[in-house]
Order: sequence, then structure tokens, then C-alpha cells
Amino acid sequence: MRLTIREDPAAVGDYIANYISKRCVSLISTDRPFSAQTNRINEFAPTPERPFVLGLPTGSSPIVTYRALIKLVKAGKLSFKNVVTFNMDEYVGIPREHPESYHTFMFREFFSHIDIPPSQVNILDGTALDLVEECNAYEERIKKYGGIELFLGGIGEDGHIAFNEPGSSLASRTRIKTLAYDTILANARFFNNDISAVPRMALTVGVATVLDAREIVIIVTGLRKALALSKAIAGVEEGVNHLVCVSVVIVYPESNPLPYRKWTVSALQNHPWTLLVADEDATSELHVKTVKYFKSIERVQDEVERNQAQIKANAILLKQTA
Amino acid sequence: MTSPNGLVCFTNCLLPQEDGSLVEKDLWIDERRGVILDAQRTFYVRGERPDRIVDLKGNILSPGFIDIQLNGAYNFDFSVYEDDKSYREGMKLVAERIIETGVTSLLPTLITQDKALYPKLLSLLQPFSTPTSATLLGWHAEGPFLNHAKRGAHAPPFILTAPEGTKSFEDIYGEQNLAEAEDWLMASGGQNPGVRIITAAPEIDGVMNAVGELSKRGIVLSIGHSAASSEVATSAVRYGASLITHLFNAMPQLHHRDPSIIGLLGASPHLSSPISPLPPYPSRKSSTGTTTPEKAAAATQTVVPVSQIIIPSAIQTNFSDASEAFDNSMTPPLSPFNFASPGSITRSLSGTLSGAISPVTPGAATPLTVHKRQNSRSELHLDKGEIADMAFTRPYYGIIVDGIHCHPNSVRLAYTAHPEGCILVTDAQKILDPNLRDGVHEWRDGKRFVKEGDKLYLEGTNTLAGSVVTLDSCVRNFSRFTGCSLGEAIKCATYNPAKCLGIENRKGTLRAGADADFVVLDRRGTALSTWVKGKEAWTKGA
Repeated sequence: MRLTIREDPAAVGDYIANYISKRCVSLISTDRPFSAQTNRINEFAPTPERPFVLGLPTGSSPIVTYRALIKLVKAGKLSFKNVVTFNMDEYVGIPREHPESYHTFMFREFFSHIDIPPSQVNILDGTALDLVEECNAYEERIKKYGGIELFLGGIGEDGHIAFNEPGSSLASRTRIKTLAYDTILANARFFNNDISAVPRMALTVGVATVLDAREIVIIVTGLRKALALSKAIAGVEEGVNHLVCVSVVIVYPESNPLPYRKWTVSALQNHPWTLLVADEDATSELHVKTVKYFKSIERVQDEVERNQAQIKANAILLKQTA
Repeated sequence: MTSPNGLVCFTNCLLPQEDGSLVEKDLWIDERRGVILDAQRTFYVRGERPDRIVDLKGNILSPGFIDIQLNGAYNFDFSVYEDDKSYREGMKLVAERIIETGVTSLLPTLITQDKALYPKLLSLLQPFSTPTSATLLGWHAEGPFLNHAKRGAHAPPFILTAPEGTKSFEDIYGEQNLAEAEDWLMASGGQNPGVRIITAAPEIDGVMNAVGELSKRGIVLSIGHSAASSEVATSAVRYGASLITHLFNAMPQLHHRDPSIIGLLGASPHLSSPISPLPPYPSRKSSTGTTTPEKAAAATQTVVPVSQIIIPSAIQTNFSDASEAFDNSMTPPLSPFNFASPGSITRSLSGTLSGAISPVTPGAATPLTVHKRQNSRSELHLDKGEIADMAFTRPYYGIIVDGIHCHPNSVRLAYTAHPEGCILVTDAQKILDPNLRDGVHEWRDGKRFVKEGDKLYLEGTNTLAGSVVTLDSCVRNFSRFTGCSLGEAIKCATYNPAKCLGIENRKGTLRAGADADFVVLDRRGTALSTWVKGKEAWTKGA
């Protein structure tokens, strides 16, 4: 697990937008062909036949990231023409046109501003007659695209990811979920403070659906997320080796029921390629040494990446001159 | 410049909202159908997104302006008929050229005519548009049921009373032209009556009897060229009148003891409480008191002879040359009015009118459905910022914001009193043409006029010859005069007039399904381009 710390939410948004753009999505401008950036992009270079599959969240944290991504698209530095998206969740029982539906949110905050073709957007349909079938079909669709390349997410104050409230199974798949009382209370502000108007159920991808992604990037901003962040990287804080932590969860007897986590977000420790991006406020519950540690490995990481890029570039040059 | 899939996205622009705010947002339209789209629905349900993106570079994408009072333009006068062909050409000319002023919908306005001319003119003034022109919405008849004392430039011999109420109106405008019309904008074939607004003076004999019935047919009854007292004006609104024609002009000045028509903008909940009884229709002079007003009217047919009407000499002079709205400075204010005893109306100007509103026929009234709010508020209540319930909605008011017909302070006074009712109108004459240079121009009857910006004088005098202001400059003036934002000024030329006419689902808004008629304005309110039904029809400097 990596943790990148930036000054404020805007800087977090910029960082993630650039990261996604670098990591995954075709860059139109190739003015710096041997930079680390383009090499990483060329790793994927999505095409209509081989699109980049991106998982997306809703909520307040990702808005800044979406804005930064929109800026890149408008500047011509990024295109979603060959990107397929899967959203994490949607309420059950409110129409798609409802101002608080996640369809509305995604259209308003993101899809309307970028160049993604509507056919490549996938959001769970909370108005489907057969909700179970809708969830199963969603998993199938993800599979059909070869799984999710990068899942972008946020976390709740109680550590939930999507609607995977505390206590969700690590093996959970896309399914119907009852909202926790806290979540209903927290969401009431979007429904005229009328608790009875807040949907009680949602369709959500499961913890395992998220963990199946080849890479996970989590946005953690604000003081209120500080506790959740500390739980997410609890292993580091308690001095437990990462490997131990991972093996504990993965190597359980087949017969045993799968463990669940009170802090859903800590499940991310099971994933080999997770990036948490936090602002300074969100690190308030971490030890100073932990913060310093992650800041230092980021510097080292950058150096290694630069070196790698240079080696690759030299190799290509050598090949060309040969 | 067309979009491969027929969808266009306007981006990098400010959209005026119905609350007067300007919001940075995209707008999607279907240029083939010429309508505004529900973008989210188009994306998720239709599975399409626009192939063509129009970058408006931070400018304002406003619904096209609506002018509900335009007498003519580009040297064509809606009130002058020579033959069908030239009249139709004139309509087309105005519709095609007016878009350079940001106007995409307008209401041709007829000033008082010879009775014989109405059937001809009204049959020609059907809703009309071409694919690249503004839409003529029908007609606005100003007169002939006006008050002589407030007639402005309307010709005295043609001004009438309406002794038979609704029937008098039908006699003049033609019964078929006042027929109830549903979805007139949707229908085709030119068989629909184009009636939208009738300006009349409610104190004139019989007019009040017609207000209720005509309002019910969807016609907007507008109080204008009238000397109605506060009580009469209030009654007219309670019967259904919903508009005031060119506020401040051709009506009594604001007198604090009897604020008359202007006072409607500040209509007090105390005097218009929902529990106060609606005044019944006025009886006819010789009414038996038991028959319905209609029957009574048919039976008596009292007409006040034109010769008996008192016309103050100050107003008699120069009427034909003056702007038809510009006579109020010559009218003395009404004397104080005693609410308790209508019989004691001082007979200064309204003396000859008292017969129209005196004693009451009990039970004859058919009040409009009283609008009930869910959270009803009594006269004395505890909700700060809320107003006690009113028996009626205050009327809209047209206002000429050329800086001449109303002082900037008056404009602000009206807007502050009743912002939701404000409608900018040009009331422009046929000489309106933004391309006309300042200087001396030929007019009519060998007279010449001098144009100086938005001012128009008779040559050699300082008599104003009418309004020549364009609606886009009214919007800019209004924003300056009142200090309101450009978005709020735009609302008074788009949403408010559309709402007044009940066409806000098709015109004057950016609602999904509305016609894609726009004017693009820079942030100083200058019109840069005009779009009609999804196509750019005019560009500045092109």
C-alpha cells in the first residue's frame, strides 16, 4: 500500500487526475516521447478493441478529481474515447432523473464535460425490476471487459467503500445493500433533511469487486476522514509487516467463512497495488513518523521511476542507432 | 457547420436561470428539431452526445428575447393595412430582421383602429415564423376600449365603450378571433386565433364585465390607457386582468392616497385579503338588479356618446404626433379617493366613469378560483420574510426602459416593488431600425423626425415621436437603472413575458423541450448572435 500526501484537496485532485492520465489513458500530445509519462501511457494505449476500464465513485471527495480530469480533457491532454467506466453504486427506488441519483451526479459532475461515448458508461440501474439480476449482469459486464484496470474510490468516515458499510464481507460481489443508519442520516441533507425520503437501499459493487481491480486509487481528504485513514493503514501504524497482514487474510482455510472487516477500507491492504492519496488534514490521526515515512518513500519512488525511464529510453535509442 | 448526429452542445457559457441567476453550464440542443434537450436523458436513455461543440467563450447564452409590445419596425407598421400581400411581406420583414436585436418572439401590437379594419388585420396576424425568423406570436390589441382621457396617440373617433361586455369585444375583434384556443402554438394550418393580449381600460363602460370571461379563455387582459382608481384596478385584477400596459405611461400618476394602477405593484395584503369579498360585476346603468350582467348588458346597450366624454384640453393637443404612451406628464393626478363610499368619487377625470363601477349586483360575480397556498398565512403572522396571503397575484407590467418614457428612478421603484412582474417592452414604432443613423429622416404627411440615439423628435420641436429603443438595449438600460444583474434583467425580457403569456414551456426559457431560440450576449449585454430553432440566424457584423 502506498500513501501519497498532498497539501489540500485541490492538490490531491490534480495529483490523481495526472496519475490516472499518466497511468491509463491515451495521451494525445506526445511532445515528450521519452519522458516517464509517455512511457507509462504507452504501456496501456487504449483502443476501441482494448479499452481502458475505469471504476468510478460518487460523493464529495472525488469532485475535485473530476474537475482536474475535465481540465485535462478540455486542454486536449486526455481523452475518454477509449475508456469504459463502471460506477460503484446507485440508490434503489429513485428515478435516474432524480437530482440526488448517482446517474445525475455523474452526468453533472463528470460525463457531460468529457468526451466519453454514452455506450461506454455503466451505472447500476436502481430502478430495475429484478435487482439481483441487475447486479449479476453488472459483474458479468465487468468480466466481459476483462476486469477493471483501475478503481478510483473515496472512503466514508466509517471506512466504507461504495455502499460496503462496516461489516461487509471481503468476498462480497455486486449486490443489494441496506444503508447503515449513519449513511441515511448523513445523506438526509441531500433530501431536504427528510430522513424518510432517503432511499433505504442501494446497489453496490462488493469489496471483492473492488479488490479484483488491477489497481486501486483512493481519495482521502478532510479532517473527518482522518480516523478512517489511520484504520486503512493500521498495519503500518502498529508496526505489523504488510506481508503478514496480507497472508493472514489470503491464507485462510477454504472451509472457513470469509472474514469481514469492521473497517472495510482496511481490506485494501490485501491488494497488491493500492494508492491512497490524502491531504494534510486527513493525516491528522497518523503518527508523525508514519507521515514522514510515506513522504520519504514517495521521493525514492520518483527517483527510481526516473531512472527506469532513462534506462528504457537509452535502450530504445541504442536499438535505433544499431 | 451542422452536427453529424444533429446534436449540438453549447459550452463555456453562462445560462440565465429562471431565478435570474447566471450559471456556468452546458446546454444541449437538437438542431434538426430545433428544441432544447434534456442532456442527461439524451446521454443515458438515447445514448448519444452532441457531435458538434460550440464554444461560446464565456459569453451568455440567453433564451431569445420576447417583446410583447411592438407596433412596427423597419418602416412597417402593424396597424397600417394596404393589401394582404404587402402586409404579409411586412410581417415577414419584421420577423426576419428583428432578430438582430436579440428578439426571437414578439407580439405585433395594434393601436386603436377603425372598427372595420380589425377583422382584416386580425385574420392576417396569425402566429407566423420562417425557419430563420423570429416568431410572431399572434396579436396584442391596444384599444379600442380605452379611456379618452388617457388615450395618448390613439385616435379619438375610434375609441369605444363595451356596453355589452364580452359581446362588445367579440363585435370588434371578431368572435372567431377571441375563441378559446388550446395549444395554439402547437397547432398548424393558420386556423388558430392569434389573440394573446388585449389592452383595455377597466373603468370604461362594460369592460369589467368582459375581463373575467376573456381571461378564462386564456387571453391576457392588460390594464392600460386607463384612469382606473385603485379600487377599480384592483377589481380588474381580481377578475383576471394580469398585465399592465406600459407602466407609468397613459395612466394616473402615483398618488399616495389613491395609487391607482401603479399601486397594484404594491397591492397590500390588507386590502386584498382572501377573505374579503370579491366585488361583483358592476351593474349596467339601467340594470334591473336581478338579471345577470350579460343579460342586463344585452338589454340596455347603453353607450356613452363620444361627445359627452370630457377630454381635458391639455391632452387634446398634439395627440397624433405624440408617442402613444407618452402623455402622462400632462395628466393631473386623481383626487384623493375614499374607499368607504365609492359614490363619492370626485368627478375630476373619472367623473364620467363612475357609472361603470357603481352599485353592485349581488350574486352576479363569478370570481376566479382563489389561489390557495399550502402554508396559508394570515394577515398577522410570525414568518419573517414572508407576506400574508393575497387574494390575487399581482399583475405583470410592461415597462419601456429607453430612459425617456420612464425615469431610471421610476424603473427601479417599480422593479423593487414587484420584480417577478417586470416585463421589458419596446413599444417601438415602425421607425425602429438599429441600423438607422442619427439625423433627420422623412416620416409621414410631409413631416420629418430627428433621431438622436433612442430619442425621436419631430423636426423643429421637442415633441417625442415614439419609442425607437431595441429590446437588447432595454435589457442593458434596465440593468444600469436598477442596479440588478444582467441575468435578472434578461429574466425580464425572457422568462417573465413568457410566463405572462403562459408559453414558458416553449419560449423564453431553457427548459427541455423549449424552442432552441437564443441570443448570445457578451458580459456587457451586447447581442453577438441570434439562434432560431437551433440554427444560427444572425451574427453581429456579418
